[in-house]
Formats: sequence, C-alpha cells, structure tokens
Amino acid sequence: MAEPHTSAANVERMPNPVVVAEHVAKHWGATPVLRDVSFTIGVGVTGLLGANGAGKTTLLGMLLGLHQPDGGTLLVLGGDPWGAGPEVRTRLGYAPEYDALPPDVAAADVVRLIAELHGLPHRDATGRASDALWEVGLGEERFRPVGTMSTGQRQRVKLAQAIVHDPELVLLDEPTNGLDPAQREDMLELIRHVGHDLGMDVILSSHLLEEVEQVSDAVVILEGGIVVAGGALADLQRMGDELVVDIDGGSEAADGLVGLLRDAGVAATAIAPGRIVVALERAVVYDVVRDALADSGVGLRRMQKRRASLEEVYLDASDAARAH
Amino acid sequence: MPQAFGTRRPAGPSGEVAPEGAARILETGYRPYDGERLGPSHATWTLTRHTFQRILGLRRPARYKILPVLSVLIAYLPAIAFIGATALLPGARVRTAVPDPSAYFGFVTAALVLFATLAAPEALCPDKRSKFLGICLASPLTRTTYLIAKVGAVATAMLIVTLGPPLLLLTGEALQNDGPRGFGGFMQTLSQCVFAGLALAVMFTALALVAPSLTDRRAFASAGGILLVIGSAAVSNIMAFGLQLGDGWLLLGLDRLPFEVTARIFDRHGPPTPSGTPLPTFAVAGVAIAVTVVAAGITWWRVVGSEVTR
Repeated sequence: MAEPHTSAANVERMPNPVVVAEHVAKHWGATPVLRDVSFTIGVGVTGLLGANGAGKTTLLGMLLGLHQPDGGTLLVLGGDPWGAGPEVRTRLGYAPEYDALPPDVAAADVVRLIAELHGLPHRDATGRASDALWEVGLGEERFRPVGTMSTGQRQRVKLAQAIVHDPELVLLDEPTNGLDPAQREDMLELIRHVGHDLGMDVILSSHLLEEVEQVSDAVVILEGGIVVAGGALADLQRMGDELVVDIDGGSEAADGLVGLLRDAGVAATAIAPGRIVVALERAVVYDVVRDALADSGVGLRRMQKRRASLEEVYLDASDAARAH
Repeated sequence: MPQAFGTRRPAGPSGEVAPEGAARILETGYRPYDGERLGPSHATWTLTRHTFQRILGLRRPARYKILPVLSVLIAYLPAIAFIGATALLPGARVRTAVPDPSAYFGFVTAALVLFATLAAPEALCPDKRSKFLGICLASPLTRTTYLIAKVGAVATAMLIVTLGPPLLLLTGEALQNDGPRGFGGFMQTLSQCVFAGLALAVMFTALALVAPSLTDRRAFASAGGILLVIGSAAVSNIMAFGLQLGDGWLLLGLDRLPFEVTARIFDRHGPPTPSGTPLPTFAVAGVAIAVTVVAAGITWWRVVGSEVTR
C-alpha cells in the first residue's frame, strides 16, 4: 500500500508503514530533484513510478541513507536512514539499475560477500548464498564468474544478492533493464514471489508502467520531483472508472447524447462516431445515462464499465500536476 | 505509528509453522534467516579480507596472481638466497657479502614500488569501474569504514613485503649464529626491523592509494604510480645533482626517501649526497610524514568526500 501527501493521521491509518516521507526535499547543486515529497509505503510490493529524471534513483539513495535530505523527514522501517544508516541498511536489500557486480568473481562468492557485509557470519553466508541463487534459478550456475553470464542471469544475481541476508525491505532499481520479454516475465514473477511469499516488502523503481501494474500492490508516482499520485493500485484505478457507451447512429447522435449528459451534470466525451465515454463518478450515473438515452431516442448497442489502466492514471496525474 | 524498529511481518509459505506434534517439511527452499547478525565492524573486516584476497589474486584466475607473486618473490628470494649461501658456503667472505637487515630494505623497496604501482590499484579501481562501490555502500558500511577496510587490506599486503623478508633474514642469521651480537642486539635489530617495516608499509600504503583514488582504471593508476616514482626521482636528482640547488631536494625523490627512512631507523646515514653531508634526520622524518599525510589526504578526499550519486 502507498499513500501520497501523508499526514500524521495518515500514518496512524496505515498499519506498519515501511517508509514514511514527509515534505522531503533534495537538491543537487541548484537543481531541485525532489520538492516537498510526502507519501507512506506499507507492506507488499510498491511501484515507484516516474519518467527518467523524475527523482526515483535519488529517492532510493535517500532511503539507503546515502544522501541527506535537504528538508523534511524520512523514516525507513521506523529509523532515520541518514542518522542511523548502518543500522537501517542492515535490514535493507538493494539491487541497482546498472551492472554493479565484479565480472571476474563467481556469483556465489559475490552473493556470499554481500551477505557477510550485512552481518551474516561466514558459514551462514555461504549457505544462504547458495540458497538465494537457487531461489532465483541460478543454482547450477552459481560458480560461474558473473562476467560470463547473460544479462538475464546477471539481473538474477543482483536480485539474489539483494535478498540473501533476508532483509525486511528490498529496493529494486529498474530490475528488468536489458531483459527480453520472456526474461522480463520471469523476473517479474520472481519479484512477486519475493514480495508475497518470502515475507519481504519490495519497492520497485521503474519507468515501465505495465511491469509495475503487473506486480505491484500500490504505487507512488513521481513527476518533476513531486508525488503526483499514490495509493493502492486498485483504489487509483477505481478512481478512473469509466462507462463506455456504444449507440446507434454516428457523430451527431453521439454529440446529442453528450449534450444531454452534460446538462445533467455528468462528464461525458464522444471519442468516436457512435461511442461516448462517461466518467463513472457515482452510481447514479447509470440512471442518468438511461434517462438521456430514453430522452434522445437513440438506440443502445452496448454499455460497459472500463477500469482505467495505470498508464491512464499516470498520464492524468501528470497532466493535473503540470496544470498546477 | 511507525513500525517498531526490529520487527517484521511474517514470511509467506516458507515461514509457516505446522501445529505442534504435526509432521513438518523442513526443507522448504529459501527460508527466513533468524541466526546471528554481526555489526558494521564485521562488514569492515569482511571487506578487508575480500580486498586482501583480490590484491593477492586469491580465488581468482592465474593471470591475476602473476604480479603479486612476482613482487613477493622479488622481496623474499634474495633473503632466502643469502641464508642458503651462508649455510652452504661457510666462510668469512660469504658472510661479509650478505647484507644485514637494515641494508636488505634496499631489495624490499624495489618489490614495494612494484607492488604499490601494479598490484595495489586492485583495491579501489574495480569497485569504481564496476560500480560495486554502490552496492558496498548499500550495506552497513559507510564511506569511512569502506576506506578503512581498503587501507587495512593494502597495508596488510604491504607488510608481507616490508616485514617478512628482513625478519626472515634476521632469523636465518640468528639460527646460524650470525647477525647481531647477543640477545640485546637481536632484540634491538628485531624492533628496528618491525618499526622500519611498519613505517614503509604506512608510507607506501598512502602512496599506493593516491592514483587509484583518482581514476577507475587500473592501467592508468599503475602508470600514474610509476610516473610519480620515476618523475619525483628525476626531478629531485636534477635539482640536487644537476642544478646543485641543495641536498634537501633529494628527499622529494620517492625512490630515495624509503632508503633514508629505514637508514635513520637503523641509526645510519642514507645514500651519498652531492655535498657529502648526510641529510638531517628531522628533515627525513618531516618529509616522510608530510608525503604520507598529503597522500592519505588526497585518498580521503576522493573516497570519503565524494558523493555517490548512483
């Protein structure tokens, strides 16, 4: 779950928030990267959405305690990542966007090293490195140097090193970069498995809407350094529910019906000859459409409720933010 | 209220526990870890060990072992040869030809320069080039503990070259009833060997990390290190011997400074100067400390002071 513009009351409402950001700001030199960002992230898989340059990677760096916020407060797992960085990072897993693993070292050695860096004793780290690599489907390949692996395998090694120490929160930055469609599906399935079966909460940073929509329970949408939308994915999509009405007749009939609906206080648009879209803002809209059809004498061919895609939610939120 | 620090939600299927007395499947694949978790000091030690292994080429293909092994051989082989010669060829002439531990640091310096310029860049460059630094800093390590781990690994590797061979030679001589006279003389030489070895290791560790802190390419770092040694030697010799601007210029030569430092620790004079007057000990100590501090400062500024933006 995720909620934007968090207030103290919001925090009270969401049990066990994983991340709480209140009025967080960050500048790189004179360039503002994040401006007054507020949101709450709860358990499960949360997508951090935004175009390239929206501030996603900077935000992840701040969650890791690598950058100090210029303003506001940030809590990760109840702790301040900047002030208590090592303690917070012990409980986090992180897979960066780029290839970041030494190419001449075997996958098992890299993953074991990361486990030890997060505090696991050598013997435990060795065992868990094998377990993590088996979990991501690289059990047979674990002694191969990372540099000899395919892009998909390297992405899996990055996921394995992010979960090897059994963190409470895993931060994944563009985990499907460079993957073909089949590999992307496999990776998304793994992420879903990590977030839903292994007891770890996941923040998935991506600019690819469809993959966030596929695996996330909630989203936070960043645009130009501010949060333009956030919350449970189902709630956000429900907010954009529409009624698609196909009627007999062409543009004239559609325009006439749209006029009647608008007169009745319902937002409607003719999107094609014989097809209009009505915002499903309240249940009474069905009655208004029925009455308008009866008054205009236009025949109804089909009427279907349509749920907004994440892309539409994203575009609407971005447009609204730009308009302000 | 925010989640209490240290609590977590239960795992899914793999974390489920069957009712008491019921049969359980113990092997369920990936399981939550509820064992011991050690602190940031363990992370620092882990990175030190990992870096030390990388510098020496351990757990890596054979080609990565060539340079470190060559450096160690250059440092140890003469000591082994001298001990063997005195054991197999008894006689006063052979014994006078064998250097004492203080003079042996001349052999060590060549290996040190080789080690510092060719093997030590492995400590910093690959982390930056492969961006592994970002993953390291996403662990309980901080930039400071990261640098401490790297310095510890390089210094330990340096000690293999600076401390081992003179101690080997001293021990070999003592076993053959040669070397310093009496227990007191042995202990004095032993402490001088340890002090000189530590001083050289500290100075060369600081110098070895300067170039790698400025670039992410090993080849550039090695070339930069070699240029630093050769360039400083050329400049200092031209100033002192060619232009005769004073003996003090000799201390800027990184080829000469280690000899001067170890000679002073063994209460001797360094190599000859143009004027024939030995360089003052306080000047040698001052320049050695200044060079070490400046080199360490550059590395600190580059590693700890730089912002990791990705």
